[in-house]
Amino acid sequence: MNAPLLSAHGLVARYGDFQALYGVDFEIAPGEVVALIGANGAGKSTLLKSIMGLLRVAPEMVRLDGRPVGGAKPYTMVASGVAIVPEGRRLFTGMTVEDNLRVAIDHARTRGGWTLEKVFLLFPVLKEKQFVRVQLLSGGQQQMVAIGRALLNQPRLLLCDEISLGLAPKVVREIYQSIASIAQSGTAIVLVEQDVGLAQSASGRLYCMLEGRITLTGRSSAIQRAAIGEAYFGAPRAVA
Amino acid sequence: MQWLDGLVQGVLLGGLYAQYALGMALMFGVMRIVNVTHGDLMILLGLVGISLAARFGLGPWSVLVILVALGAAIGLLLQRVILNRVVGSDPLPSLIATFGLSIALQNAMLEIWSADTRSLDGGAIAQASFQVGPMFVGVLPVIVLITATVLTGGLDTAVRYTRFGRALRAAAADVDAAAMTGINPKNVYAAATAIAVAILGFAAVFQSIRATVSPADGPFQLIYAFEAVIIGGMGSIWGAFLGAMVLGVSQSVGFRINPGFGVLAGHLVFLIVLAVRPQGILGKE
Repeated sequence: MNAPLLSAHGLVARYGDFQALYGVDFEIAPGEVVALIGANGAGKSTLLKSIMGLLRVAPEMVRLDGRPVGGAKPYTMVASGVAIVPEGRRLFTGMTVEDNLRVAIDHARTRGGWTLEKVFLLFPVLKEKQFVRVQLLSGGQQQMVAIGRALLNQPRLLLCDEISLGLAPKVVREIYQSIASIAQSGTAIVLVEQDVGLAQSASGRLYCMLEGRITLTGRSSAIQRAAIGEAYFGAPRAVA
Repeated sequence: MQWLDGLVQGVLLGGLYAQYALGMALMFGVMRIVNVTHGDLMILLGLVGISLAARFGLGPWSVLVILVALGAAIGLLLQRVILNRVVGSDPLPSLIATFGLSIALQNAMLEIWSADTRSLDGGAIAQASFQVGPMFVGVLPVIVLITATVLTGGLDTAVRYTRFGRALRAAAADVDAAAMTGINPKNVYAAATAIAVAILGFAAVFQSIRATVSPADGPFQLIYAFEAVIIGGMGSIWGAFLGAMVLGVSQSVGFRINPGFGVLAGHLVFLIVLAVRPQGILGKE
């Protein structure tokens, strides 16, 4: 396997006195699609937040291109090629679709690659809604803006936090089709997902988390459902 | 005739109020930061300008250039040292921090300049006027109004269409999401505060030429600026300009009804707007 684009080493993260991650080891290679599954509260979003610099972690715990970047500010991470589609979308309310996207263009790592036109090609409905304020869009359209905004940061690594949450199945399919074409363009993607089937089919490799630890990892196509069930919910005897 | 004159003088007075209000529109209207020192900083700039003019024999235009630059520097410092520590969705911390600073500033100015009212010698232009029909219109107030209009247009364009403006609106909407999109919110806020206080440099010069300044005047300018922003509608730059006009005209007309009624009339109109159209003239929703 190639040298990892991004890796976490014994990552420990806390919210105040509450410890959310207990020594997580994680890595993703350039161009790879990795899914991160687990129940609510397993620490998936916390892992993304720690990578993105939204939680305070020690520098050596997160490495980008082998360099320690743990605890770097989110805007520094964007500048080094990591972008995030945050949980709950977090669009800029009161601003139009175009302005939301332009903010990302303004602060992109490089020029070229993704453009406004390419994002509109990926999500044609956004072109129609270009001058509409984002709070007036449907949930699926808002998710498209959030993905487009992250892409326009020109990431080498795209972190997607629960992008199917609360969307209709048809919209989820559309969103995941776009993920497949983004992956084809060579961008590495981390998919945080609650839907195990969706995560398995969309990714090359997956990690399962439980209570702040990685409980299972391997090739998505090779992992048995039973093994995932165990890793997802804990040991069978604990469930029974 | 008296009422037409009141209207014209009110609009001209509104030009001065608009210069108080623009920085407030940016900080309170867009960024949702309450800066209670807004008026005190204008007075401080005015007093510094008057002292510089007296000491070095500077004309009003040189003073203007110095005060705008000094205002930008003060704004940068204010944001870096105090406001960046209290940035967030809650306006209360910034209110409390700047309230304390406001009292300290007023007392420091009182210590340095005493309670005397002072003004800046504007030269011939301060008294010049021209006749329009039966009315006499001062040259200086017209310059003030034109300056205010240009500043408003420039600021509005910057907020709407520039990289800086988009970053500022994004950071105001969701500061964490802005950081996740590559914006360094502290830099954006520092630039915005620098602009807001730099505009007070214009207001300080014109206020000092047109009328007087003394260390305790700040709170009045602060109230006018707040009222103009709220009358016009939060987040709208041209709204603040319109709000300043409404305030100026109300005061000017009120003054013609009864000389003691002018300032009160402005406050009453503000309260009426709050009751009838709380989102302001150009406010959305």
